[in-house]
Amino acid sequence: MSARVRRLLLASLAPAALAAQQPQQAPPAPPPPPRDSTPPEAYYGVTEWREARAKLTPLMDARGFTVYIIGDMEGLAAAVRNATEMRPPTRGGGTDHERFRVELTDEINAVIAGAREAGATQFVVNDGHGGTLFRNTLPDRLDSEAILIRGYPKPIVMSTGLNPEVDVIFIVGAHANAGTPGIISHSFAFDSFTVNGRMLNEAGIAAFIGGEMGVPLALASGDQVLTAETREMLGPIETVTTKLAMSRSAGAGYSPAHVHAELRAAAARAVRRVRTGELKPLRLARPYQVRFCMRASYDPWFVGQVRALKGLRQDGGERCFAYTSQSAEDVGDLLNRIEWIVLKP
Amino acid sequence: MRLLVPLCFPVLLAAQVVPPSAPPVVPKLPPPAGFRILIIPDMEGMGSAVDIHEVIAGNEGEQYRTLTSDDYWQRFRGLLTQEVNAVIAGARGAGAGSFVVNEGHGGNLFANVLPWDLDTAAILVRGFPKPLIMVTGIDSTVGTLIFTGAHAGAGSPGVLAHNFAFDAFTVNGTTLNEVGINALIAAEFGVAVSMVSGDDVLIRETRQILGNDFVGIVTKYAVGRMAAITFSPAKVRRMLQDSSAVAVRRAMRGSFRPYRLPKPYRVEFTLRRSYPEMVVQGVDSLRWEGLEKTGDRSYRLVTSDARQMGYLLDAIERVVLH
Repeated sequence: MSARVRRLLLASLAPAALAAQQPQQAPPAPPPPPRDSTPPEAYYGVTEWREARAKLTPLMDARGFTVYIIGDMEGLAAAVRNATEMRPPTRGGGTDHERFRVELTDEINAVIAGAREAGATQFVVNDGHGGTLFRNTLPDRLDSEAILIRGYPKPIVMSTGLNPEVDVIFIVGAHANAGTPGIISHSFAFDSFTVNGRMLNEAGIAAFIGGEMGVPLALASGDQVLTAETREMLGPIETVTTKLAMSRSAGAGYSPAHVHAELRAAAARAVRRVRTGELKPLRLARPYQVRFCMRASYDPWFVGQVRALKGLRQDGGERCFAYTSQSAEDVGDLLNRIEWIVLKP
Repeated sequence: MRLLVPLCFPVLLAAQVVPPSAPPVVPKLPPPAGFRILIIPDMEGMGSAVDIHEVIAGNEGEQYRTLTSDDYWQRFRGLLTQEVNAVIAGARGAGAGSFVVNEGHGGNLFANVLPWDLDTAAILVRGFPKPLIMVTGIDSTVGTLIFTGAHAGAGSPGVLAHNFAFDAFTVNGTTLNEVGINALIAAEFGVAVSMVSGDDVLIRETRQILGNDFVGIVTKYAVGRMAAITFSPAKVRRMLQDSSAVAVRRAMRGSFRPYRLPKPYRVEFTLRRSYPEMVVQGVDSLRWEGLEKTGDRSYRLVTSDARQMGYLLDAIERVVLH
């Protein structure tokens, strides 16, 4: 989606509409699109991921039970359309986005309520949706006890500050992996992403980063494609199917009220199953062999920028790379650098 | 509200007829009934705010036109007003009797607080230009100064960190952030800062500057210049209310020192590199008494009156915001 945002912005600058009105005149060559290769440090000063983790850790309730909730939007109840529902008018979207910000916040509040019933004491919400540069959750509607991580750029974008004091990870409003028939299916900037040969979607990547520090991902919600594929990747975790995808932009949705009730019940079950030790963190063998292919829709400039990142090896095609690491957070940091290349504000 | 017309009008007139370095004609605020607090709410450091689009209205000048998002800025104005109300409620509980709120944030040209939702006991100074900008309303009737939503200084890793129009700003060689600059002006009237809220970076650096034990409230932890670990607005309001009660109680006992530096003040600053050349030309053409140019974008002012520094800041803001 990040690339779509960018292309949309570029398209609105292109003189195509003007040329159509004056067919006699040869249209002037379009200006080259603006290209910005500034690294994140120099641009806004992204805090190093270790520092973000060091800032969140002392806020943790070490003797309680902490739930880290990643809020995305594509998998929310009733959401189907990227162009209007996933970002606000000021970023090329539509006014419906504002309604879905409410829905996002309500779905997060539902899982908080359920987890609290099962004994969870603390809640960290990480806004994980790039449509508004990670500022979708409504701060004044969210459960007032929750800590909310918002804004962009931020380190390890969907796992900012994650640390071993966290007891469980939930992902709400998640979408199915790139290349699947799920609603607005994609995975960061990739057509495919594997660790040690294991295909991971965005929920899977969050589980991988959390898993290394002993934190399991125990709940995922989204369309039926997302819930099925995530159980296949992570085992029998709690899932809530919010809608049945019929195409990448249509589906049969359950009532949001019904979804909230399901989320609440599933969150309570997830916390109980983690406390009894039934749900385990995802641990993969080191060193991690990461392989990924950039989206085919990206123009070569983006791919060139990615190629210039440290530690990547070309692997199996122009757009495909391999990376070896001993640290899942390092892999997360790499993802963040790639995200930055395609999603500069 | 009726107060605002006589307040602003002479200031606007004064700007046109009085040479810039002469003190502007400022109407006196009505004398305080009880202990007066002057609250200076800024937006960058308020609870939840992380992005420039949340604190800009888009009408502040050409370079700000695309930096707004109405659905965000409007929402944050309401939260801002509630933060100020929380501070007033706490201060009132501790025995304060007079509340002056001076808009400290340039968004919408210093008109972000919603007057109809603000505590009705407050006098609200809004609009621009105004003498002494962020400490307009200061005089010796003020009991203590409270900054909310303040942001870290230029070049620091705080959320939306900056310092007025400058990349660098020092007095007698000490780097000051906006809180420091205004604390120095307030000290001329014997007034001390008792409370500051903002992100962790701001609180840390302000402790170093002021060196007094003001009540500090960390509203969020910066994890980027436009991202942070935040607390809920309700929780931030609770912290503000509890803290302002503590701050006012201690201020009434006189336990905060005003921030003083040796005179004369050697004020040195560098205009932001990101500003267009036009801003530099504008500042050059101010012909401010005692202002020397020391580099491409660098200037020096030596004065024994911190207010002169405040008037100059206002003049520079006028160049930037026009």
